[in-house]
Amino acid sequence: MPVDLRETRLPGVGVKYTFRTAIGGRLAVILHIDGQREIYFYRRADDDEPSAVIDLHDDEARQLGAIIGGAYERPQIVEDLELALGELHIEWIPVPDTSPAIGLTLADARLRARTGVTVIAILREPEPVSGAQPEDMIEQGDTLVGVGKGGQFVEFRRLLASGPFGDEAA
Amino acid sequence: MTLGELAVTIGLLCVLGLVARRFGLSAIPAYLLAGLLLGPNEPKVLSLIQPSEVTDFVADLGIVFLLFFLGLEFSLTRLTRTGRHVGLGGTVDLVFNFALGLIVGVAAFGFTFAGLVLAGCVYVSSSAIAVKGLIDFRRLGDDETDLVLAILVFEDLVIAFMLGFAAAGGGAPSETLVLVAKALGFITVGLAASRWLSRPIDRLLDRLPLEFFLLAVFGFLVSAAAIADQLGLSEAIGALMAGIVLSETSVREQIEDRFFGFRDIFAALFFFTFGLSIDIGAIPEVGWLVALAVVLTLVGKLGGGLIAGAAGGFTRRQSFNAGVALVAHGEFTIILAQLASENPLVGAGESRDLVAFAGLYVLATATIGLVLMKESKRLGRVFFPTPRLIEER
Repeated sequence: MPVDLRETRLPGVGVKYTFRTAIGGRLAVILHIDGQREIYFYRRADDDEPSAVIDLHDDEARQLGAIIGGAYERPQIVEDLELALGELHIEWIPVPDTSPAIGLTLADARLRARTGVTVIAILREPEPVSGAQPEDMIEQGDTLVGVGKGGQFVEFRRLLASGPFGDEAA
Repeated sequence: MTLGELAVTIGLLCVLGLVARRFGLSAIPAYLLAGLLLGPNEPKVLSLIQPSEVTDFVADLGIVFLLFFLGLEFSLTRLTRTGRHVGLGGTVDLVFNFALGLIVGVAAFGFTFAGLVLAGCVYVSSSAIAVKGLIDFRRLGDDETDLVLAILVFEDLVIAFMLGFAAAGGGAPSETLVLVAKALGFITVGLAASRWLSRPIDRLLDRLPLEFFLLAVFGFLVSAAAIADQLGLSEAIGALMAGIVLSETSVREQIEDRFFGFRDIFAALFFFTFGLSIDIGAIPEVGWLVALAVVLTLVGKLGGGLIAGAAGGFTRRQSFNAGVALVAHGEFTIILAQLASENPLVGAGESRDLVAFAGLYVLATATIGLVLMKESKRLGRVFFPTPRLIEER
């Protein structure tokens, strides 16, 4: 799973990232100082001519990065996608419409203190909340992006679905 | 120089620059050629512009801006992060090519100061042309590009010390030692200042309205150049230091953005002005030197590239590509020759030959280098065929 990514500085040009793909090709991505990006693809790792070169402006590169990184549309396609980061997992947890947590801030819900899962972002229409703050409110239709250890998500989902929260919890 | 003459000059620079670009060549030889054509030497039909105080001053500004930008890219943190190839590759390149350059220098001027400067001219490749070639020919993704750029960084460092030497060296050994000490001191102060002064300079420049921001940076640059000039170190080192001091500040990118245009215009005029003083009449004397230097450059840069590449774990084809990228000579060769020709200790005859040599040598290597670079992968496959275990057919 871990990709052997190599970073090299190109003095006067920018930064270069290279890695070999699983099927034997080689990718080099160059970030120019002026924001331009170039992607070089070598079909076989030791080819001396690239099979393709792609030039991208800064905004195009960001868009492409977001699509490849899966920031777009992800929760709709796969409900329970998880990403293993060693021990840690990132999970997308839809808030049930009947959740007693709706209307509470993240701080009031005390999700982290009670389950160990940290909410890092909230996906909602039209603007997702990246970098969720304690004072952000949980709303109907939200999908929470949480980081935690594998087992902690069971309790997180249960708590989110049926509470109790606030004074009742004590 | 009148405005009309300037208009003709700029027009010719544009036309020749575009033609060079059309053929995938660098603009630097085109600008030199423009100067050669319009200058007072042969061909005399087109002689329109005389070197004067005005052209000299414009050329000075060109050097100042070129070195200022080199300094901006120079910062300590970047140097320490440019990776493993710098020391080894750079040393191989230096030993090989300075030695070969010395052969040409001694053949031309004997064991003199001018001979030493000429060796420097043959040693130092053109960063501008190499980087342009690497970008245009789609070489940035290749592994050996790291080696090329690392060697160029090393050359830049060596040149920083040679600039002061070219402008004011050549006296008694004791004077030369003093000069080297001064140059070292000046650059050390610059590096220290870039470390400790970057915060206050940042805060000051941040607060200035745009108009004064430009003036403040320009004023700082020109003062540094003037001080270095007064210390007998050449304006080039002062400009380099100004760049180094500002390279660690947060306004570096803003400065680069705003002064790019200045650099390009004054650098073009600098190369043009240098072209003015190239005397083709000196060809009988320097023609064979240029030919010798070109051959030795091919030997030195390609051989050095192969050795540095082998040491760095590259294949022979990759090392060949790296060596080819370093064949083109340009801005630093010209700057060294220009500074040395202004040095009072270099005789008029030597100075004329040095300028003619540098001009013709850059015209030749910049053209040959880029053509070779374009074809280097094809050539590499011919010279270093892939070994086969079983002969096909």
